[in-house]
Amino acid sequence: MDSSSSQEFDYLFKLLMIGDSGVGKSSLLLCFTSDTFDDLAPTIGVDFKVKYVMMDGKKLKLAIWDTAGQERFRTLTSSYYRGAQGIIMVYDVTRRETFTNLSEVWAKEIELYSTNQDCIKMLVGNKVDKESDRVVTKKEGIDFAREYGCLFIECSAKTRVNVQQCFEELVLKILDTPSLLAEGSKGVKKNIFKDKPAQSDAATSGCC
Amino acid sequence: MKYDMKSYYMEYYFESNPDAIHGEWNFDLHDLQLCFGVKEFLVIAPQSASGVLLDAPEASKLLSAVAIALSNCSSLWPAFVPVHDPTRKAYIGIQSMGTVFTRRFEADRIGSQVPVKLMHLEGLYELFVSKFAYSTLDLSVHNFKVQFTMKLTYKTLPWDDDYMKGFNGEKSGEKSIGIHWDDDCSWSEWYSAEDPVKAFELVAILSEKMVESSMEMAELENASPHEAEKWLISPRISPNLLECSKGNWIGFASQLRLLVDALEMSFQAQFLEDFVSVENAGADNLKSMIVPPPSVRDRVLKELFIDGVEFSNFTDDGHKTGRAIKGAPREFLFAQFCLHALWFGNCNIRAISVLWLEFVREVRWCWEESQLLPRMPTKGPIDLYTCLINQKLHMDESVVGDDSSNKQTLSDEIPGIVDRKPGIVDLFNDKSSDVTRRGSAGIVDSMMLLKSHQSMHAPFTQEPPLMTEDMHEERLQAVEAFGDSFSFSGQLERDILTSDMSAFKAANPDAVFEDFIRWHSPGDWEEDEPADCGSSSTGLEKDRWPPRGRLSKRMSEQGNLWRKIWDHTLALPVSEQKPLLDPNREGEKVLHYLETLRPHQLLEQMVCTAFRAAADILTPTSYGELKQMETEIKQLYVTIATALRPLQVNRFSADSDTIEDLKRVTVAFERVEKLMTLGVSLQRKFRRAPRLARDIFSGYYDFSISKMGSLAEQIVEKGFDMKLELRNQERELLSNMFVPPTASQSWRKVLSMGNLLNGHEPIVREIVFSMRDQATGNHYAAHSGCFSHKKEIETYRMYICGTSNDLRVALSVASCD
Repeated sequence: MDSSSSQEFDYLFKLLMIGDSGVGKSSLLLCFTSDTFDDLAPTIGVDFKVKYVMMDGKKLKLAIWDTAGQERFRTLTSSYYRGAQGIIMVYDVTRRETFTNLSEVWAKEIELYSTNQDCIKMLVGNKVDKESDRVVTKKEGIDFAREYGCLFIECSAKTRVNVQQCFEELVLKILDTPSLLAEGSKGVKKNIFKDKPAQSDAATSGCC
Repeated sequence: MKYDMKSYYMEYYFESNPDAIHGEWNFDLHDLQLCFGVKEFLVIAPQSASGVLLDAPEASKLLSAVAIALSNCSSLWPAFVPVHDPTRKAYIGIQSMGTVFTRRFEADRIGSQVPVKLMHLEGLYELFVSKFAYSTLDLSVHNFKVQFTMKLTYKTLPWDDDYMKGFNGEKSGEKSIGIHWDDDCSWSEWYSAEDPVKAFELVAILSEKMVESSMEMAELENASPHEAEKWLISPRISPNLLECSKGNWIGFASQLRLLVDALEMSFQAQFLEDFVSVENAGADNLKSMIVPPPSVRDRVLKELFIDGVEFSNFTDDGHKTGRAIKGAPREFLFAQFCLHALWFGNCNIRAISVLWLEFVREVRWCWEESQLLPRMPTKGPIDLYTCLINQKLHMDESVVGDDSSNKQTLSDEIPGIVDRKPGIVDLFNDKSSDVTRRGSAGIVDSMMLLKSHQSMHAPFTQEPPLMTEDMHEERLQAVEAFGDSFSFSGQLERDILTSDMSAFKAANPDAVFEDFIRWHSPGDWEEDEPADCGSSSTGLEKDRWPPRGRLSKRMSEQGNLWRKIWDHTLALPVSEQKPLLDPNREGEKVLHYLETLRPHQLLEQMVCTAFRAAADILTPTSYGELKQMETEIKQLYVTIATALRPLQVNRFSADSDTIEDLKRVTVAFERVEKLMTLGVSLQRKFRRAPRLARDIFSGYYDFSISKMGSLAEQIVEKGFDMKLELRNQERELLSNMFVPPTASQSWRKVLSMGNLLNGHEPIVREIVFSMRDQATGNHYAAHSGCFSHKKEIETYRMYICGTSNDLRVALSVASCD
């Protein structure tokens, strides 16, 4: 799977995954991008994956940044919040502290580093396959999502339950938000990734 | 309408508001309505370009023709014809009033040398009364009961410095010459705005009175306006406040406009030097640009780089939305540079280039001398929301700062883990490997090493490297080039991890991989028993050695990257490690960037920063509670942010649309800036009556809005005119504004008309005398109550409008003929 920049796309969206170490961010991402599950080594700093999807008849390029949960890397990861249209907050339903840290640590980080007010946030409770070990109820997740105004889903990277839906819902919501849509097409013009004139044309016509 | 080689035009006026209850002194009245006390009327005038009006015989001929025409169609409208030259405002008119009465109108004006008698109320009264002599009605000669009402208009002296001194005299004696009204405003560091409030006019209205003799009138002349029934205030706002014309008005907006022009120019050359050297300047327009002399340039640079400007640790207190504008916070060096550039010469591209080249030279000098840059923070991460130049300067500053200070920093990124600093006692107690322990920042109290009975030491670690936005982008591209490969991890992060491991090893010579994980990624260490019987106290932990547990599954797998790195890492304290980023190289890179910056790159960032800084300077100004202002400012930030977005992409080309947009933003900026000065000025003048400040501001605000909406189609220039009725307690405040005239001003008293207010004579005195004919008992006298007939019971009406050097008199007489 070589550099997919040869492909064309209408919109480029940047997504960011945050949450405590070991909640399964990388596994979720891997499950989403290559439909496999593996017990991955902890991420060092940051990982990055690209996935192309078709949605609403539009070709989308998703650049997904997967950050390490360790505190030591937190100062570095702060720069990845910039320009993200979607932020996925992941916790482990079998470890309460990963849930409480979302409000105590991660929500604050978002507040601090994300200036994009329209940016879509999504709360994801991972590892629902371990139902017997569950300590954070679905109700608590829903309440949190309501309080912070984000989307909510529970899933399992291991059994692949709800993983596709998780990303899909987030992207659909981004597509529904005009300002983010404009950014997504601007991102093409901005040419972080090598783009072609044809793409930017498509993007501008798409946004009008 | 054409007749006999001359064309005439007709104008109709309709009562705009038939329900008006203001009585005589309705301010919406047309001049003729006021003069003659009529409602609807008709004006016939020759339509000649020269403005020559009719002579008297022609006028009366025309008027009678019109009168016949009107009566033929049984119209009851009055008709007027202007006589003589327009400055005299002389009219004659006639109105058929249905049955027996006809009203005749006559008006004229004395432009100079007003007879002294007519300057005074007494004389004016006699003038009115004398008109009765021509009356065909048989009125008794004595006892003229005349209705009288008066409107006095006063004007404060212009708000010049002298005047303000007097006005503020009560407050302080420290006011000295050369002080401007806005000296303590946030913008005064950069410019002094014209006070938009030029003066106030006070209109005092005396209620209707019955006057019977000229003696009584003479007394009335001594009446103080304080006794007037109504006081109205009318601010005189500088016309400059409304016009969007260039040059008239200096402020941030005008300079920003020049900067946008410079941006447009900046695409014409590859290098900034091209704008400076005169030989290269092929274009004449470049030569005509004035660069301020070197002395001015040096002063600006000195101010920018002045020693001892301690960088106060400010938070980004500006509007949250301010961050959406990719500039630099206004206290920062680059923002200060931009602000100075705005006022450097006339902010043309040559002047900017000259200043920038000198600026960069200065930055290089600081770098080579290892001097810290002023107005920059030495610590803290780079704010990627600022512009690239600011990030670069920040980088440079940090590199210099790192060089001059110790490279070691306490690992405060991991708060709570280092519980206490290594005391001497601790170090002595830890006997075994003290010889080789290096770079410890302190003991992690609650943790013991796995394989040796020692406390865990937290190492000093390298600070995460600072990265500017372009470095991030570079990394991003590298990642992209790497492709979607499965085990990708950022090289930089790996370096950091390696550095941390090295430092940890040095601080804990006997540590194993598991110890590092316990410190660095506690989540990947699973303790065996879930902490039985409340054993979280440190003493217990120390006793329960060795700690039991194991690595998480993912950490312990074969070929784990973390362990691989651990195995290949040498024990080195931070002081001996290679820095994550080479400060010399990074510093040079920064300077290289600054020295080879393309003109348009510089200008783009300057525009962004200047807009933001200027807006940030204006917003903290105190203008009282003005809701409109608050929303305007919020809106301004949004507008700026939107318009500047194309500039922040770094690959912007000379796109005329964008330039146009930017120019439009400067207009919006100017509007807000002007409204701001007005708000501030009003607030200062009405400190004790904020209601007035608010109401006048609202009035002006609405006016300016309506003005904007109808800019294109409306040709008629209508000035801002607003009258606001004062409440009783506010009278004193306004009356205090009328400072008794100084000796030099009091010569005016010679011409005094009376009715002084604190020694000021009115600028205009308007009087209406009217005589209501009730004695004859005709059917008009029976007050019908119908408003359209109300005026018609006046048999005589005289309107007099006098200033100190002219007098207008308009008379209307109803007679039975």
